[in-house]
Amino acid sequence: MSLLFYISSIVAILATIMVITRHQPIHALLYLVVSFMAISMIFLSLGAPFSAVLEVIVYAGAIIVLFIFVVMMLNLDKETALQEKKWLQPKVWIGPSILALVLLIEMILLLLEPPSEKMLVTVVTPRQVALSLYGEYIIAVELGGFLLMTGIVGAAHIGKHTKRNLHRFLQNNH
Amino acid sequence: MNELQLLALLPFIVLATASIVVILLIAFRQSHTVIQVVGFLMMCMVVFATWYVKDTLPQAIPPLFVVDGQGALFTGMIIFSVLAIGLFSYIYFEDREENPKEYYILLFLGTLGAAILTISQHFISLFIGLELLSVSLYALIAYLRNRNNAVEAGMKYLVLAALTSAFLLFGMALIYMETGNMEFAVIAKKITTTSPTLFIMGLGIMLVAIGFKLALVPFHLWAADVYQGAPSPVTAFIGTVSKIGVFAVLLRFAQTIQLQHYPLAISIFSAIAIASMITGNVLALRQQKLKRLLAYSSIAHFGYLLVAFMPGNSAGTEAAIFYLLAYSITLLSAFGVIILLSTGQGDAEDLSLYQGLIWKRPVVATVLSVALFSLAGIPLTAGFLAKFFVLAAGVQQHMWLPLIVLVVTSVIGLYYYLRIISTMFAAPLPTLASPKTLHPFFYISTYAALIIMTGLLTWLGVFPGIILQGIKTFLLLH
Repeated sequence: MSLLFYISSIVAILATIMVITRHQPIHALLYLVVSFMAISMIFLSLGAPFSAVLEVIVYAGAIIVLFIFVVMMLNLDKETALQEKKWLQPKVWIGPSILALVLLIEMILLLLEPPSEKMLVTVVTPRQVALSLYGEYIIAVELGGFLLMTGIVGAAHIGKHTKRNLHRFLQNNH
Repeated sequence: MNELQLLALLPFIVLATASIVVILLIAFRQSHTVIQVVGFLMMCMVVFATWYVKDTLPQAIPPLFVVDGQGALFTGMIIFSVLAIGLFSYIYFEDREENPKEYYILLFLGTLGAAILTISQHFISLFIGLELLSVSLYALIAYLRNRNNAVEAGMKYLVLAALTSAFLLFGMALIYMETGNMEFAVIAKKITTTSPTLFIMGLGIMLVAIGFKLALVPFHLWAADVYQGAPSPVTAFIGTVSKIGVFAVLLRFAQTIQLQHYPLAISIFSAIAIASMITGNVLALRQQKLKRLLAYSSIAHFGYLLVAFMPGNSAGTEAAIFYLLAYSITLLSAFGVIILLSTGQGDAEDLSLYQGLIWKRPVVATVLSVALFSLAGIPLTAGFLAKFFVLAAGVQQHMWLPLIVLVVTSVIGLYYYLRIISTMFAAPLPTLASPKTLHPFFYISTYAALIIMTGLLTWLGVFPGIILQGIKTFLLLH
């Protein structure tokens, strides 16, 4: 199945290059979803279905939806809605669609084809992952929690809006 | 995990609790003073906890951690640095525009990251500790978010730290590919050939991240801008806590895999050390801003430190720990002076501000002079003995080239340290006295901390025996 691996790797690289060269955040996000799906496909072709599913659920599912919500909340005007309509030309969505289609064909091929050769891969089950995460690596998980807290506190401080309620006579001084 | 293992982790648990206590204090709308005092007490509790668990060490907590004497030593140094930085932060942030409360959460979380690094023996704990340190530093550097310098410095650090984290992960992946494990001890066992290509490549790529954090040449480009742009207490944090933590994990990794047996790795390290010593000292020569000058001097000092690290013998380890101890006390007292002289408008970085300081504020100027003497390595200060131990450790292994560069660049370094001191003795410029609005207690305690640190520097420089003995006893616990 090494051909499938290489195809999905190329798709991942192409999509990531498109992410960092787009001007509009939404266009970049479309390619980012494709990039995550391509990485998930890489895992699947290597015989790691659980990582592949996690990749889709965590990144493509949760994180991208969060991004899209934030971007949607930033643009609330009618003008920006019109502008967005202008941006949503076929040339915008056709690129990600083609890449996604390639990945879909790959997955169908992978699922339909009977296992021709015996793969030397031990399948890791969710149970094993959970047991090692909450067993020997429990401290790492707890520290991961602290890492998230650091990110949230830092982002909350940097992004905070300060409200200045000054009397209009005092406002000239500031 | 059994009771003894939990007990060995007690200092780290207390440290992690400190940040949560600060969050709760903020939730109950306590004042800056309360948070400051409680934070100080929590750090004291960490020190007591480290002392309390000392007799149960060493304790392995497989697979991620090993709490041994060396880890306890580095953790102790980190906590003492944070005690001083926390004290300086009060007077610094009281006359700045930002609300300083979240600062303490980030400070303690960053400290937790550095402390985790000192006891890691696994790539996962190494990576999480390093990220905890970096993520809190992103926000700490840009804490004064309305000042352009700070935002620029934070952005620079964010981009470069994220990039080097990617390098670190890639290096780890290469080593994992060669050995099939991420635990330091198992990696050491799995390598059987004398020149494992993938392993050396992985090590080299990981060195990008380590070199970035320690600001070694050629990964030093961020140092001057970030040192200048960050608030002064945060700069002191980057210069001491973050570097102690990263150096501790580098030392443990090198000891476990016995780095000195790989000639290629050693030649990479000596090239980096030589480049750092030369570049740092040469760039500092014409520098007119004190914080930038200290950034370049820190590049040079970590070059010296690598000379002590390369032999891989016990003398080298002791010399490196003594060097780090002397360097952090010195740097903290220098930054304490900068913070005392800073005003709400900007930090005291221009050398012209220091002209005639000895006639205007003799105590502060004396503290800064002793710190600069120690950085330059003048006898009777800790810096001299630290450099002497480094030289002694290097001579044992006949590493002549790095040693000659060390001696020559130290002489070059004398020029710019003495230049600052001569500026302080020049005739003073007429300046306006800065108004003091804070309660005198905090000024008195800051002065007391500075005087204690200056005393420590001279004491270490004259009678290093007790400290060396202490370091040796702690190092035996492994």
